[in-house]
Amino acid sequence: MMSMDTFMAVATGGLVLGAIYALMAAGLAAVWTTLGIFNFAHGAFIALGAYLGWQIAATQGAGLGLVAGTLGAVLVMFAFGILVHMALVRPFERRADIVTASVITTLAGAAIIESAINLIWGPRSRQMPQLVRGEVDLGLLRIPQSDLVLIVVVACVLAALGWFLGRTRAGRAMRAVSQNRQAAELMGLDVPKLYALAFGISAALAGLAGIFVGGLRFMTPTMGTDPLMKALIVVILGGIARFTSPIYAAFLVGMVESFSNYHVGLYWTPAVLFALMIVVLFLKPSGLFSHHQRTL
Amino acid sequence: MTVPLLELRDLSGGYDPIKIFEGVDLVIEAGESIGIFGPNGHGKTTLMKTISGVLEPWSGDVIFAGERMNRASARGSRRFRNFNYDAVTRRRMDPKRVARAGLIHVAQGNLLFPEMTVAEVLSIAPLASGGRNLQGADVHALFPRLTERRGHKIRYLSGGERQMVSIAVGLLAAPRLLILDEPTLGLSPKLRAELCASIGAIRGLGVPMIVIDQDVGFLTALIDRLYLFDHGRIARVLPKADIPDHDTLMTMLFGEALT
Amino acid sequence: MRYDPPFHRTNGLIPALIALAGLIVLPFVFEASYIRHLLILAFVFGIVAASWDLSLGFGGLFNFAHVALFAVGIYTYAILAKTLGVNPWLAVLAAGPVSVLVATLIALPVLRLDGIYVILVTIAFSQLVYQIIISQSGVTGGTSGMVTLPPLRIGDYRLTSDGRMGYYYVALALLVAACAFLHLLIRSRLGRAIIAMRDAKYLGIARGVPEARTRALTLAASGLFTGLAGGFYASYVRVASPDIFGLGSLTLVLSILLVGGLGTIWGPVMAAFVIILLSEAMSDLGPWRDILIAMLIIAVMVFYPGGLWGVVQEVREAVATTLAGLRARWRRQTGRAAREARMGAPEQMILTRHGRVAVSETGGKGPAILAIHGNSACKEAFCRQFAALRETHRLIAFDLPGHGVSDNADPEEAYNVPAYADVAEDVLAALGIETPVILGWSLGGYVGLELAARAPDRYAGLAITGTAPLNIVPDDFARGYDASSHLVLAGKQYFTSAEQHAYASSATAPLAPDSAFMHRNINRTDGRTRYYMITRLGVVDWPRQMRMLREGSVPFAVLNGADDPFLDHAYIRSLGYGRIWTGAPHDIAQGQHAPFFNRPEAFNLAFTTFMDWARSAARPDVRASA
Repeated sequence: MMSMDTFMAVATGGLVLGAIYALMAAGLAAVWTTLGIFNFAHGAFIALGAYLGWQIAATQGAGLGLVAGTLGAVLVMFAFGILVHMALVRPFERRADIVTASVITTLAGAAIIESAINLIWGPRSRQMPQLVRGEVDLGLLRIPQSDLVLIVVVACVLAALGWFLGRTRAGRAMRAVSQNRQAAELMGLDVPKLYALAFGISAALAGLAGIFVGGLRFMTPTMGTDPLMKALIVVILGGIARFTSPIYAAFLVGMVESFSNYHVGLYWTPAVLFALMIVVLFLKPSGLFSHHQRTL
Repeated sequence: MTVPLLELRDLSGGYDPIKIFEGVDLVIEAGESIGIFGPNGHGKTTLMKTISGVLEPWSGDVIFAGERMNRASARGSRRFRNFNYDAVTRRRMDPKRVARAGLIHVAQGNLLFPEMTVAEVLSIAPLASGGRNLQGADVHALFPRLTERRGHKIRYLSGGERQMVSIAVGLLAAPRLLILDEPTLGLSPKLRAELCASIGAIRGLGVPMIVIDQDVGFLTALIDRLYLFDHGRIARVLPKADIPDHDTLMTMLFGEALT
Repeated sequence: MRYDPPFHRTNGLIPALIALAGLIVLPFVFEASYIRHLLILAFVFGIVAASWDLSLGFGGLFNFAHVALFAVGIYTYAILAKTLGVNPWLAVLAAGPVSVLVATLIALPVLRLDGIYVILVTIAFSQLVYQIIISQSGVTGGTSGMVTLPPLRIGDYRLTSDGRMGYYYVALALLVAACAFLHLLIRSRLGRAIIAMRDAKYLGIARGVPEARTRALTLAASGLFTGLAGGFYASYVRVASPDIFGLGSLTLVLSILLVGGLGTIWGPVMAAFVIILLSEAMSDLGPWRDILIAMLIIAVMVFYPGGLWGVVQEVREAVATTLAGLRARWRRQTGRAAREARMGAPEQMILTRHGRVAVSETGGKGPAILAIHGNSACKEAFCRQFAALRETHRLIAFDLPGHGVSDNADPEEAYNVPAYADVAEDVLAALGIETPVILGWSLGGYVGLELAARAPDRYAGLAITGTAPLNIVPDDFARGYDASSHLVLAGKQYFTSAEQHAYASSATAPLAPDSAFMHRNINRTDGRTRYYMITRLGVVDWPRQMRMLREGSVPFAVLNGADDPFLDHAYIRSLGYGRIWTGAPHDIAQGQHAPFFNRPEAFNLAFTTFMDWARSAARPDVRASA
């Protein structure tokens, strides 16, 4: 039996992981739900976002501090996402095999981004400067300040995203396109622009996630691979029928991972997660939180 | 001479490699409405999808309010079979441009956006209006049912209510020409009557229409001319005064054999 | 009925054998062992990519765990040969079945899934295998892998000796075996089921293709040679490392597959050489190499999804088309006298909407007959009508575009039934002929039906021979024709010389002095006419033709060979005809598919009698009393 302190520490760890996974999964789902494709360059987006943030924030780079680094990285990634959409996905817009084709091109895009990071910043690992240090005492538990900032920022970002999708015209238009492309075209919505917007938002979220991942671990050109795999598990577990489903799943996976790390061990945890995902897909292919029947 | 509202010149199209309709010439003058009548599966809906740019025309021109909606390039020969020409050629027609110019297509059996509420869908509809404004087009007055249902998701609506949302969305885009593709298909008699009345009211606002329907009486009340469509071609054009009843029309299309 | 075309087998064999012979003698030409090393790698990755093509290209299943199957082969060899001390040869052989087993495990969750979910679950599976391998460091060496694996040897002869000569030939043998396996599998009943599930899944299920079993077998079969290649690769590089799961090897194999061309088997095998050599040539570039290879993948996907195999096909088509065009030009000049003698009529070239066509016309004042030949034939097919009827009739025959001595034309525009009808209209207009009787043979019969359906009033009659009128295409094809192997040739783009004779024999007459010109003519036909005729069936308004027949707007006759090997006579009799000569299709005994050629006397008698009837039937008074 674990003590209360350990339990709280492990749970907080789970919450932090869950927050990062939620950020990633929301980004993945933004593209997946609107365009119906899976962006394999999302992990590379994370790495690129982290390196961009580092370049702006760190004293070895521009030295402008982490806030500027974060904002800069998010903005650049937004533009970069639009660029990636134009180069890797749009050429297949009218083709029936867009899913397979874009899997392949985004994978190739990931390889290009990772190699480019390797070329620009070198293979040696780096560390993201920290915004805040020390711990806060919340009565019941003491958690690192950086973790608290992370959780608060993620909560705000996700809430803002929810507001954007539900309340603004552009967000509603994006949802409309994701649900029925042809009807959206007939309504005069600018479908290619909305697709590009979805890609941009997705990349911006990845950039933010990259800053956080870079703060937790050392940065390497391939730092995005592991979070991408986790986000993939999250998206599959949650299903993508609703924007909120992968977010629930993200926290679930974060908790499972955190507790599994403690009880089962670091080595076996990924295997446990992948096995869990395969079992879920086998039993309920549309995801744990999905309300829909699987359609033929 | 005034510019016609819509002009189709020798238009042909279909689903590659199958040509569905060809050689369609049609002119709608300002303020006119027309009906299209013909058997199922003969290309009426495909023609409408081509006019609104969802499908690309194979040849011919779509001219709306004096402006050509399609690119000039003909359906060129694709010499290298394995080359992806889509990557280097642009769409020949942009549905967004057509819609923003004011040609609004209310598609057949439109399922719209199942996970959005009526209010949300109606809120994004004016995006296509291009700054135009349609006097007197109060969708809540035209479709009181939608006011009751504004908080409901589209997937929980009945077929008739969905059709109403579709038409309301079209109206909010301030159409200069409204295409209604079988608006009353598969509806209960009560809803059908309600919808027909609303469509009549919209016609009363002076919105020109292209209406496809199987109900000749309903069509005749709305339109100035009826086009008989058969095997992907316009078989005949009947002015309003000459439109006969349903059975006579069927005989015109199929000959004696089927009646 | 088992559908088993016997003619498809020889086309690629000779090039494949030449390539194989080249690879066998190559080590003696290039002595450097480095070249052999590269080729061994190309063979191994060629096998892996071609096997992946089975599931991805042919099966339409994106199995992302395919590289993991290769890794399973590697680790199977490592554990068996090193840890357990099994004979290395047996360890290589065991790697295949182990991979098949793992592939079957992967198949289990995939059976119920579709599209992107297949990709996701196989990625997860691949990661699962990876995590298991690095977590079991006691068995697998964990993240550092296993080194100094035992190499292959025969007795005391190490396969690395003589500049890796032994490994080279074993790898080549493995490649040949893998290609043969995949090739035969694709041609088998299972292969057709796999392709059917990719192209028309629900139709396939409805026709009784077992979906789950087909998928499981596809994945299992793709694992066999992948595992063997993995085992062999481990014995060659003597290292088993978890790096193989990385993005690098995935993009390498994927680029081989894509650059080669999906769904081709041979494309990836060819591309393996290109990519491995390219990758080796760029090895000094560091990360730039990965960037360039990734860009190559994107460029191929965006611009040229057909890949290397697509290039080969286009080159082949260009060569074949040019050859056919040159033959047509050559024969137009040299054989003209012989053709005019055969037809007893002068030949002229007429410019139509779809290029220049060669026309024979007897002239004269008699009733006009326009004869339209069939698929891959020529206007001289009607020489026996020209000979017999020229005194009393005005006969016109022309070579369709891409046939006989006419020019080749734009395949997209000109090689389909409506375009052929355009050509016929232009020929008639150029010669100033009004209301001819049309005689259409086989494909020409459809052209005749199309002409009559367009403008019934412009023709005095229509006789078709060897043609089954269709209403719903392609469904009625199966009803109108017996699916014989020779019929398959009708849509086949390239003929071997055996196929050329086989098709001429079944379509016209067996090789004999008087039919030799029909056999010879086939190699002039632009092969694209056959391909496009089949793929452009949709541009024809078939119901309009059928309606024209039902309404009887043109006097009509069906003059088929009673023993036509292609047609389903019962189907043709069952159709409703509004105005048909003798009230039913008329059969000509022993006429085969070309009764006008094989039994000219009987045919000409029937045809002229029909023309007389048509002329009287066209008179309104007779029509009313009938």
